[in-house]
Amino acid sequence: MREVRIALIAGLALLVAGIGVALARSPMSVARTNGTPSREEAIAFTTHGATYCQSDELLPQGTSAIRLSFFAFAGPRLRVVVYAGGRSVTSGESGSGWTSRVVTVPVKPLARAVSGATVCASFQMRDEELTVFGKFTSRPSAARNGREVLSGRMWIEYLRPGTRSWASLVPTILSNMTFGRASSGPGIVVLALLLLAAVAILSSRLVLRELR
Amino acid sequence: MSRRSGTRPSPPARAKDPTKKRQDAGAANGNGRKQVGSRAFTRRAQATRRRPTVRRGPTWETAISGFASRLPSLSLAPVLRRLPRAALICALIACLNAICWSLVTPPFELTDEPDHFAYVKQLADTGSLPTSGSEETAEEELAALIALRYYKVRQQPQNHTISSHAEQAELESRLASGPHDRGSPAVGAALSEPPLYYALETVPYSLAKSGTVLDRLQLMRLASTLFAGLTALFAFLFIRETLPGTRWAWTVGGLCVALAPLLGFMSGAVNPDSMLAAVSAALFYLLARAFRRGLDMRVAVAIGAVSAVGFLTKLNFIGMAPGVVLGVIVLTARAWRVSGRSALRPLAVALGIAFSPVVLYVAINMLSHREPLGPVSDAIHDPLHTSVLGQIGYIWQLYLPRLPGMTNDFPGLFTTRQLWFDGYVGFYGFLDTTFPGWVETLALIPAGAIALLCIRSLLRGRAILRGRWAEIAVYAIIAIGLLALVGADSYRRFPEIDAEYAQPRYLLPLMALFGAALALAARGAGRRWGPAVGALIVVLFLAHDVFSQMLVAGRFYI
Repeated sequence: MREVRIALIAGLALLVAGIGVALARSPMSVARTNGTPSREEAIAFTTHGATYCQSDELLPQGTSAIRLSFFAFAGPRLRVVVYAGGRSVTSGESGSGWTSRVVTVPVKPLARAVSGATVCASFQMRDEELTVFGKFTSRPSAARNGREVLSGRMWIEYLRPGTRSWASLVPTILSNMTFGRASSGPGIVVLALLLLAAVAILSSRLVLRELR
Repeated sequence: MSRRSGTRPSPPARAKDPTKKRQDAGAANGNGRKQVGSRAFTRRAQATRRRPTVRRGPTWETAISGFASRLPSLSLAPVLRRLPRAALICALIACLNAICWSLVTPPFELTDEPDHFAYVKQLADTGSLPTSGSEETAEEELAALIALRYYKVRQQPQNHTISSHAEQAELESRLASGPHDRGSPAVGAALSEPPLYYALETVPYSLAKSGTVLDRLQLMRLASTLFAGLTALFAFLFIRETLPGTRWAWTVGGLCVALAPLLGFMSGAVNPDSMLAAVSAALFYLLARAFRRGLDMRVAVAIGAVSAVGFLTKLNFIGMAPGVVLGVIVLTARAWRVSGRSALRPLAVALGIAFSPVVLYVAINMLSHREPLGPVSDAIHDPLHTSVLGQIGYIWQLYLPRLPGMTNDFPGLFTTRQLWFDGYVGFYGFLDTTFPGWVETLALIPAGAIALLCIRSLLRGRAILRGRWAEIAVYAIIAIGLLALVGADSYRRFPEIDAEYAQPRYLLPLMALFGAALALAARGAGRRWGPAVGALIVVLFLAHDVFSQMLVAGRFYI
């Protein structure tokens, strides 16, 4: 029984500490985007490996992740390399298996802003379709896959850790939770927090009562 | 209903009998260890057979009253009184957790929820089944989706839900003045699903009929959370039947199921997966009970009824059916040794009840000159893939590393880890909300430790396992059947889509086995440290749940 009590208290203490650490960190925020069109267009499709490169990109200082507007059901491993002045200035990889309309690739943080950069995203695939979203443009400014010119420019967002911590954003998150509901108001947030607390308390009490 | 209640022994009287509980817990030997497996069953069955019985003439009255007396009571209170308090608390925790998830997840921002809502709307408004699998949403629902920015938020984690008073006012205005069209014949991905879950959801839908679409959705979500409670309850009872000697481990398994974020997430939404999880957990419990105490008529009726409910809940149940049939046959074969031909009666009853909805469905379709299996027929006729070996190879690789000689269907993808494990760790929203990669890597440590403890426990109890091999094989075949069905469905779209249904939510019907594995893991730490390790596993699941809800809140509401 004593061991159970110690394990439970230690586990809950770790949980609280973990929440504290998570709240002290900052979420990624968009440092720059190459233009969010009101309506994205599919500028390329592929069922095989490709290396899409897009020139004339401006990467802000501190960029530590690059978000590409790709869609796949079980996306491939993706490697992003940023070139400037003929050499690689940063790079990163994301694992395969992602599903979404966007994929975020963490890269080595940039110490300073880089202009006139070329962003290349390469991947290997077989059969499954990957769609690239962006904006239709003229051929000279369009992204390329080797010699093939795509229908437009890829939509890319450059992310870096925000200036505000998750903790400072909690009021905003809780406030936003009240919107888009059957009944707006703070009641829903209070209820959710109470429910979570009840789940934790009931679970702990049951552990202490039954595990001996 | 009253006739059934009146012709069976009074449940409260049985519950008060102090010897009954011990009998229910199974035969115990001098060491207090439960007798399990086929030998124990045979001994109990022989003892039963030696009791003098009075044979009566087989009249219809006696047959019907005898059958009715074996049916489970429909009165809830005595049933609840017989259940362990810990099981009920686990069920309560699962319900509360799912309610919390229903509040944290924004309306409709969950896989196919708009389609499932549309199905209920069609059924409740018109009383008829949907007819189209297109995504032409009804005007009333569409107005809500647009005002909620659903199409901008779905699968685009950079976009968030509405966050201003102006947007809220716009939403309320659209909901109030929007069209109130009846029904929704197009239900997208939900078209091929059977109607039972949706029929149940018409109750909260109709109760909130005077409210807005969001009122109805929230009430439907709340109704769905009850299935989380049932899943945890039956998982607890299943673990109690399968690990009867370690009382504290039941709570570890039951609590972990109750706190599993995937269960809360899915049960806090409008989706038949929640009901299938509950139905499957109930089925596992009934089979475990039958393996421990024998297949009597009551349990046979219950297995048949729960299976019928499974068929009517979601098509995925078809994958589990062969294992259930095998289980009932194995139980019948055991009973045959002592009861002879009369052992066939529970088998016939169980299978008859279980497959009655299927037979009825086929008959109706054939009489209406439609395909016998309705929309399912299209799924069976797959002109693209004719290689059985190719299909087997694909299904294997969908879950496990490729074997020598197999074509590599998932180049560069470790499916076990990336599709299933990472997916279990976190795959929320409309498949667009995941933890950062380092969290998934970190999660491998506790998962590996739990797996090792589970293996240790199995190795230590291998002598008992040998005596229960048939029971274990039945559970394994149920699980394999479900995995194979999900794999076969995914294969239909392959290679256009690598793994369309590789989503851990489809494995929710195996929650009872998952809970048992976790209970085994805690037991694997030994008699002294087992409860402490169990407490740590429970806290781990609680932490996973809390962080998952924080992840979802951070993704949608920042």
